[in-house]
Amino acid sequence: MPDTKSPEEGMLRLDDVHKSFGELHVLRGVNMRVNQGEVICVLGPSGSGKSTLLRCVNLLEPPDRGRVFLEGKEITAHATRKEGGGIDFVRRHVGIVFQQFNLFPHKTALQNVCLAQQTVLDRNEKEAHGKGRGLLERVGLADKIDEYPDRLSGGQQQRVAIARALAMDPTVMLFDEVTSALDPELVKEVLDVMRELADEGMTMLVVTHEIGFARDVADRVVFMDEGVIVEEGPPKQVLESPREERTKQFLGLVLEH
Amino acid sequence: MEEIIKQYFDFSVMGDHFGEVLDGFWFTIKLSLVSGALALVWGLVLSLLRQLPGRAAAPVRFLSVAYIDVFRGIPLLLVLLLISGSLPYLPLPESIRIPEWFGQPDPFWYAVMGITITYGAYMAEVYRAGIEAVPGGQMEAARSLGMSHGQSMRHVIVPQAVRKVVPPLLNDYIALMKDTTLASAIALSEVALVGRDIQSETFNSSALTLGAILFLLVTLPLARVVDRLIGRQQRRTGRGGVRGTVATPGAVSGGAA
Repeated sequence: MPDTKSPEEGMLRLDDVHKSFGELHVLRGVNMRVNQGEVICVLGPSGSGKSTLLRCVNLLEPPDRGRVFLEGKEITAHATRKEGGGIDFVRRHVGIVFQQFNLFPHKTALQNVCLAQQTVLDRNEKEAHGKGRGLLERVGLADKIDEYPDRLSGGQQQRVAIARALAMDPTVMLFDEVTSALDPELVKEVLDVMRELADEGMTMLVVTHEIGFARDVADRVVFMDEGVIVEEGPPKQVLESPREERTKQFLGLVLEH
Repeated sequence: MEEIIKQYFDFSVMGDHFGEVLDGFWFTIKLSLVSGALALVWGLVLSLLRQLPGRAAAPVRFLSVAYIDVFRGIPLLLVLLLISGSLPYLPLPESIRIPEWFGQPDPFWYAVMGITITYGAYMAEVYRAGIEAVPGGQMEAARSLGMSHGQSMRHVIVPQAVRKVVPPLLNDYIALMKDTTLASAIALSEVALVGRDIQSETFNSSALTLGAILFLLVTLPLARVVDRLIGRQQRRTGRGGVRGTVATPGAVSGGAA
């Protein structure tokens, strides 16, 4: 039976999500619930399926099996059909920020933030620019509005990418290892923006290797390995006294140096 | 030696027939401008049809691939003969069978058709290379913001792809220009046909030499432009920055404008 909207649904729910690429079974039944305003950090070794999980949530990769609900509405039902309401609904409500920024190199920072506002949300130029300027100021880039991406540092590019996703007024934000491609000294400026966003009550699903960020900001930490959730709970518990052997091993490796 | 010079560089022959040769070359210019513009557009359309996503578009993709393969494999001369020899006898309105649009004679338009059909296929391949050279993350970023495939192509992919392929497109354009001389075979009085008529009248090739010189006056500067554009792009990519972001508008403005 298809579930209809109910308050207990939470903002985002994943039911037994599977995804394979050819022979490779990347997600092997992931169940997860994200409540409104919650910040969840997903940790795990590379190849554990963290990124694929995010990509399944906004249907960049449609799951092979299982269901994904956004605000109580099943979005995977549409994913297998022709592209239509389902994907549009998801993409309009779920913002994603990528490891490699993926800014549009032929557009300025402001144009990057305004393009989808104008083409997808039909905002006029004035509205879009107003919103875009506001967001770029918020991520601390008021003076870089007219710069092209190749004139910006990695950290600045990533902050533009965050502003670009926020411009669509998403209800959930996904972050896919957004600091992994950055030089160490640029990581903080991006994490600070994310921290503020979390403080303002944005619902966030964050795939990261930044244990410190997870400890300070996350409401819940999820540890994934080999395509399943091994362990989840409050950051203090998962990070300081993990129950599972695999979590201990991983944290041992990460925290050792 | 004297005979060679007299055969090819007889200034009195060139002088006597300068006006005719120039008139012929004017046809060459018009023909390459009109068919060049049409081929650029038609090639882009073909490459976009070839990239359409989804199962529903599979027949369109197949047809565009078949078209490109077929017309890249047939000599332009045969295409011209096939059109001009039979189009007049097909059950079509007279304005299409024997086109004399904008005061140009029908062989001019047959040549435009043949060149556009053939060079559209070549240029489609060039555009395809450009589209494929745009990093996949660009399409993902655009789609994740809710833009449709068409919107993403139009605003994100094609503008970057075209900038990458301006030099090879110009190269194709130079080749197209030279191939307009094939229209002499369907009785268009362009520079080769005019030159040949003078050749058989005077038993001297100098009028054709004059035509060749006129060609060089146009093609040599164009070839230099191509070289400079390539040089600029290489310097730009070599200068570091994010791989794949070859082109901000500065990369090609000037030469291409």
